[in-house]
Amino acid sequence: MAASKGQRLLWHGRCWFSQAESAVSPQPPDSLYPPIVASFTAKSKAAKRRRLEHFRQRVHAAASVEEKLRLYGLLQRPKYMVYPQTFALNADRWYRSFTKTVFVPGLPRRAAPAATKAPGTVVPEAAKGPEGATGVAPGAAKTPEPGTAAPGAAKASEPAAGAVPYLDLGELRSLACDALLQESFYQTKKRPFLYRDQDHTPGPFLTQLVSTLAASLCGRNPLLAASSIDLKPEVNYYWHHGEEVVVHGHRKGRVDPVRFQIDDKPHLQIRVPKQLPAVVPLDSDLGDVPVIDHKPSKLPLFKKQYENKVFIGSKVADPCCYGHTQFHLIPDKLKRQRYIRANLEDQIEVLYQANGIASLFAWTAAQAMYQGFWNEADVTRPFVSQAVVTDGKYFAFFCYQLNTLALTVETIQNNPRKNICWGTDSKPLYDVVEDGNVKGFNDEVLIQLVHFLLNRPKEL
Amino acid sequence: LFQGVRQAQWLTKTKLVEGLPPPVLSIIDSPDHQFEDLEEGVKRAISHARFWDTTEVAPRREYYCPVLFEDLLHLCRLMSMKYPSLAKRMLARNYRVAATWERESILLQVRGLNGILMNSVAPIPPVASKEEIVATEEHTLETFHPISPTIDLQEVNVYKELNDTGFRDGYPYAHPHTLFFLESANVRPRRFRPEQLRAKMLMFAFGNALAKAKVLYGNDPKVLEQPIVVQSVGTDGQLFQFMVFQLNTTDLVSNDGIKNLVWIDPDQNLYEKAQCVPEVKKRVVTKPTGIYGFQPDTFKKFLALYLHGTV
Repeated sequence: MAASKGQRLLWHGRCWFSQAESAVSPQPPDSLYPPIVASFTAKSKAAKRRRLEHFRQRVHAAASVEEKLRLYGLLQRPKYMVYPQTFALNADRWYRSFTKTVFVPGLPRRAAPAATKAPGTVVPEAAKGPEGATGVAPGAAKTPEPGTAAPGAAKASEPAAGAVPYLDLGELRSLACDALLQESFYQTKKRPFLYRDQDHTPGPFLTQLVSTLAASLCGRNPLLAASSIDLKPEVNYYWHHGEEVVVHGHRKGRVDPVRFQIDDKPHLQIRVPKQLPAVVPLDSDLGDVPVIDHKPSKLPLFKKQYENKVFIGSKVADPCCYGHTQFHLIPDKLKRQRYIRANLEDQIEVLYQANGIASLFAWTAAQAMYQGFWNEADVTRPFVSQAVVTDGKYFAFFCYQLNTLALTVETIQNNPRKNICWGTDSKPLYDVVEDGNVKGFNDEVLIQLVHFLLNRPKEL
Repeated sequence: LFQGVRQAQWLTKTKLVEGLPPPVLSIIDSPDHQFEDLEEGVKRAISHARFWDTTEVAPRREYYCPVLFEDLLHLCRLMSMKYPSLAKRMLARNYRVAATWERESILLQVRGLNGILMNSVAPIPPVASKEEIVATEEHTLETFHPISPTIDLQEVNVYKELNDTGFRDGYPYAHPHTLFFLESANVRPRRFRPEQLRAKMLMFAFGNALAKAKVLYGNDPKVLEQPIVVQSVGTDGQLFQFMVFQLNTTDLVSNDGIKNLVWIDPDQNLYEKAQCVPEVKKRVVTKPTGIYGFQPDTFKKFLALYLHGTV
């Protein structure tokens, strides 16, 4: 108080000596008293509001993204750990409500790359068109190359004049089959460790398949040439959604936001320096978000308190800061046979969907945070990433568009935007591997995978 | 191995040549390959492995060594844009090899999980000319009397003399191309010293080549008309050892006759130091974070070994 009194005296003194200026400056003098605001440390709602406001200003004014992330996750409190690969029943509905996501079956239509030359003259558009809602003839599909014929017609064998060479489906198929055969048949391996079947065959097969396909397709997709592949990276995201009352402990009775944390370890991921293009505009409404009245712990979901991490797979300084595709491997605990034995066949798709939604939300949201957005500063452009969830034989494809990060109680009230996830059912890539032959190879799954890898911004 | 490469040379009846063989050097020197564009990519790969890959401040060697290797291999694989036949390569992790041979009445064998093997459809053409192969006849293997050549080797009772390439018949990628060894233990005593790493690389390259030779030409010891070439790269995340091994003969019992050849390029640093946290002395930053002493030549050699055989 001594300082402020002295200041007031000084101010009076100045006013005394500068009476001439007071006539010049007609502004009324500021109040003599310091501004009256709520307390900072009291246990009152006004004090809580002031503390929140102070926190928001600190994060807004943070000098760098690392500082922003550090301040965002500074306060540690018990939070729900959300596992993307979960055995919980109907987990995808719960995860959609936690992340405000709309699920659209089928994949979005995209610009067609050059035609695929397959021995059986497979029409490529039919294979890559959405399998679900809009089965319209893809006449509206944007084709950048002038040489491609009208959609629906089988591609003739003459190559487009001067355009990108044809995708040789036969060669890609042989690459995939070779990878599969090497891992499952030709290489002499010991018996798999107990309950570690995934590390024995499907894991190495997936790594091999993706690396060889990415290398052979990098000529067609310059984004892949500048990409960075991570093996078993970590992806983390921390967010608040909804409110609850603290049940027990010294903070009993206070209203707290519900905190969630996803710690994901995909098998493989591809990160690129440029962002994938948005599929639909930022404010589109393609469906409803499920509303669940129960507490998240009923899913079951458990709380723990530890470091609040936001991580896309590498630090902020990495130039490849946008995500392209993630590949997830279903662990042995959650394989199909166990579900079938427990009479839960319908939950198999739920597992794939929940994995896709949760992992992709965490990845896209962490990418958005790396660009400086957070729930008070919502995203100004949509963030798009893709994922493939597989158990070695069955593949399910997902595409996620993040439109909003504002999921806290205050910011969600006037926010009409929803995140969107497109996804397919799981389809087998092959039937069985016998005697050095792959039987029943499914070209559609391979074409879909190739299209995923070829996805790029329109400028490239 | 106690004596390192010298002991391995005696055990495998090999003559050592310093530096890399002329065909590989010609790939490095040829102007077709745009190494300059790749330099940026290599720097990014090193930064990714040493700085950015983890939520902690600095990743440990057991993380950054494989990550660096994967990134460099990814960069090499992207060259298959220009050379489509590069796509005919397959990596095999966790594969097992077994090879047995006799050396002056001592039965030796090489077995087990070694490193990561890259197989290709087509074999690497022989690197040394016929004259050089014949010239090895006069070369005498150096012995280190009184130390027995089998010192430090584990004596094991073997009931089956096994020769196995690690893959079944009919495998399309039949020829071993390059072996990669990653010394990624965190603790220095657990890692191989460079000399021992080179010896290990030599032994396993020889084992792979011998197993392949026995599959192709049978078990009788003889001089091969079509020598088999296997390359090998060993690293601990910073230091690289390059090796090209050529198997000229499977007649290993006697000490005379044609010998095998190996070209070794030892101890190539990819970078001198990778500073994760800035070094601060008396509140002044003396060394900011970054990569110091980057040498693109090491990556050029890595890429040349990768491209060897298809270019």
